[in-house]
Amino acid sequence: MEYSNLRRQIVFMKKNLFDQGYLDEQFNQLEDLEDESSPNFLEEVVALFFKDSSRLLTNIEQATDKYPQDFYKLDSLVQQLKGSGSSIGALRMKNECSVFKANCNDRNLEGCRRSLQKIKREHATLKQKLESYFQLLRQVGPRDYAVSSRK
Amino acid sequence: MAPVDDGGGGEFPVGMKVLVVDDDPTCLAVLKRMLLECRYDATTCSQATRALTMLRENRRGYDVIISDVHMPDMDGFRLLELVGLEMDLPVIMMSADSRTDIVMKGIKHGACDYLIKPVRMEELKNIWQHVVRKKFNESKEHEHSGSLDDTDRTRPANNDNEYASSANDGADGSWKSQKKKRDKDEDDGELESGDPSSTSKKPRVVWSVELHQQFVNAVNHLGIDKAVPKKILELMNVPGLTRENVASHLQKFRLYLKRIAQHHAGIANPFCPPASNAKVGSLGGLDFQALAASGQIPPQALAALQDELLGRPTNSLVLPGRDQSSLRLAAVKGNKPHGEREIAFGQPIYKCQNNAYGAFPQSSPTVGGMPSFSAWPNNKLGMADSTGTLGSMSNSQNSNIVLHELQQQPDAMLSGTIHSLDVKPSGIVPSQSLNTFSTSEGLSPNQNTLMIPTQSSGFLAAMPPSMKHEPVLATSQPSSSLLGGIDLVNQASTSQSLMSTHGGLVNRNPNVIPSQGISTFQTTNNPYLVNPNSMGVGSKQQTGVLKTENSDTLSHSYGYLGGNTPPMDSCLLSSQSKNTQFGLLGQDDITGSWSPLPNIDSFGNTVGLSHPGSGSSSFQSSNVALGKLPDQGRGKNHGFVGKGTCIPSRFAVDEIESPPNNLSHSIGSSGDIMSPDIFGFSGQM
Repeated sequence: MEYSNLRRQIVFMKKNLFDQGYLDEQFNQLEDLEDESSPNFLEEVVALFFKDSSRLLTNIEQATDKYPQDFYKLDSLVQQLKGSGSSIGALRMKNECSVFKANCNDRNLEGCRRSLQKIKREHATLKQKLESYFQLLRQVGPRDYAVSSRK
Repeated sequence: MAPVDDGGGGEFPVGMKVLVVDDDPTCLAVLKRMLLECRYDATTCSQATRALTMLRENRRGYDVIISDVHMPDMDGFRLLELVGLEMDLPVIMMSADSRTDIVMKGIKHGACDYLIKPVRMEELKNIWQHVVRKKFNESKEHEHSGSLDDTDRTRPANNDNEYASSANDGADGSWKSQKKKRDKDEDDGELESGDPSSTSKKPRVVWSVELHQQFVNAVNHLGIDKAVPKKILELMNVPGLTRENVASHLQKFRLYLKRIAQHHAGIANPFCPPASNAKVGSLGGLDFQALAASGQIPPQALAALQDELLGRPTNSLVLPGRDQSSLRLAAVKGNKPHGEREIAFGQPIYKCQNNAYGAFPQSSPTVGGMPSFSAWPNNKLGMADSTGTLGSMSNSQNSNIVLHELQQQPDAMLSGTIHSLDVKPSGIVPSQSLNTFSTSEGLSPNQNTLMIPTQSSGFLAAMPPSMKHEPVLATSQPSSSLLGGIDLVNQASTSQSLMSTHGGLVNRNPNVIPSQGISTFQTTNNPYLVNPNSMGVGSKQQTGVLKTENSDTLSHSYGYLGGNTPPMDSCLLSSQSKNTQFGLLGQDDITGSWSPLPNIDSFGNTVGLSHPGSGSSSFQSSNVALGKLPDQGRGKNHGFVGKGTCIPSRFAVDEIESPPNNLSHSIGSSGDIMSPDIFGFSGQM
């Protein structure tokens, strides 16, 4: 059936996201929190995350240009991004943020800039992958989606 | 603990009010959903400053706070610090930053837990333990420190006043058990409520406060290190004040400062009960100032205290903690008069300040309190009834007499009060109460002693009066033992009282109380009980016991009382032992001034309830009590009686009363649970 096909795709895509380290268990926890009262909780939170993290990334980029020596500020900004990313289980982003923070700790501006680029890449990749994922979920439909999510 | 038990058992965690503060919208959304999944009542806030405003506006609105560490408008640690100072709520820090030094910083600032992001459901499901633990700890503290707090809590429930109550209530609010207690309390509260509003704030501290203020001013002028009783006395230039009084007060004051300094160090501790806070807040002003003067008090603490003095709600948290400690100390020291006093001192200060600020002046007028006298009889009756227990109508009458004496011995009372004030700290109360009792004992020696213990904690503020009452209670138990074991008794009683005050404690108390202090425990109720007991005790134990054990304590107490009491005492005390007591009381006048405030607070709670504390009761009640007591019957009666009796003292006390109310409220919240128990006791009585 088309339905089971879609469902298989969803499962497969999610498995890949986990296998490739994009996501961690936190993502599953959020998915488990969906119920009749908040059927789209995960998607909403993820959307919120990408909106806010884009703003944060812009701030970080500006800070690296304006206050290249203010590692405390940079660290603080990345800390926010890390906390935010970890909340939705964005594992690879979180790890890159940790690298950035380590560079801040070493006062390595070049390292910070490299890390920032990697963070941005991870951010963009994850965003694209999750959008695909949610698109598939929407195709399955609310009911089925709920079932599949709970499995 | 009652709350814990109740809560732990069934629905408790459900509906627990959690405030989440985080500038990260994603985290906030996730946390909120998770908390809802845990069936908590979650409120989110993206700005620390706004969260602080919310907390200040509605302290009772939250049971626990979860705060992010890194926030743009305010560092999470700063928020944690302010919450710790102003409200007694458990704060859980969270951050993706798991560095040991950061986590350690959170712990040092008083965080009860530190969650690493991403926060997981498993962790959130368990955060209710921090609420329970805090309450439990508070209960413990209360037990040690004083029944006063407890009583206060119970009564205030209705009042819900500002400070302490809010915090406690808030925490308790979610709990059914607490609610139950509240309901019970409400009865008392309602009765009291009318009166308290009018009376409580004004009468209490004024008198004591002024005196204490003079004392503090003198000490500040001389310098804490160079201040000696003789010079202080000269500077104060208060007729009737003796060097001994000043010396005693100075000793307590120094201990208080020391304690505060220690507390500050450990402010982080979540123990402070709201009620305590309230009291502390009020009293705190003076003490704080003093401390500030001495330089011992931490800036933040001082600020918090000042706020409280000013009437700010937020600070209460910190104070409570202090109070509690004071209470504990008092309890510990309880046996030793001095120790107790000192302890009380610390706590009293907080309360005293409040009282002092507002009410003292009025207190003096206390004359109003006199009216209470008339009330007293009623109260006594009520007491007797409630006390039933005892059968002690006669006793109660005696008690009443004693009370009357106390009341009459305004000075004594005042001194007592003052002591109490000094003692304020509920913890002190116990010890003071003991002392007081002893003094009272002078009047109704044995009884007093006994009574004191029980009430002591709760009534600390009222201590002197309460003490007397307590003695009665004590009498019921161990009159003789009281003497010998006054300390023990006091401790026991105090502890019990405290227990009662605290929800958890209350439960315990019941057990203990039954024998003695049940009445006492009732706290507000106790007061009732106490009175009855006192009455009985008074008759039974009488001076002998009181004097013996108390001797030291009593003398101290008396000393305190004496100063103030003499005038008033003569009338009230005249009845019996009071004379002796008076002498004692008279000495302490200085202290007395302190006590008044503290007592008042305590009394507020205690007083209303317990006549014993008559002093205290009087204080509070005089205004409030009178009106309310009748209604409430037992508890109230006591209160009324207390007020009446104590009135002189109470005048000062009255002001205190309000604090008591607050305390009561707070107690109510924490003690709500307790209240029920207490009530139960009362019922038994």
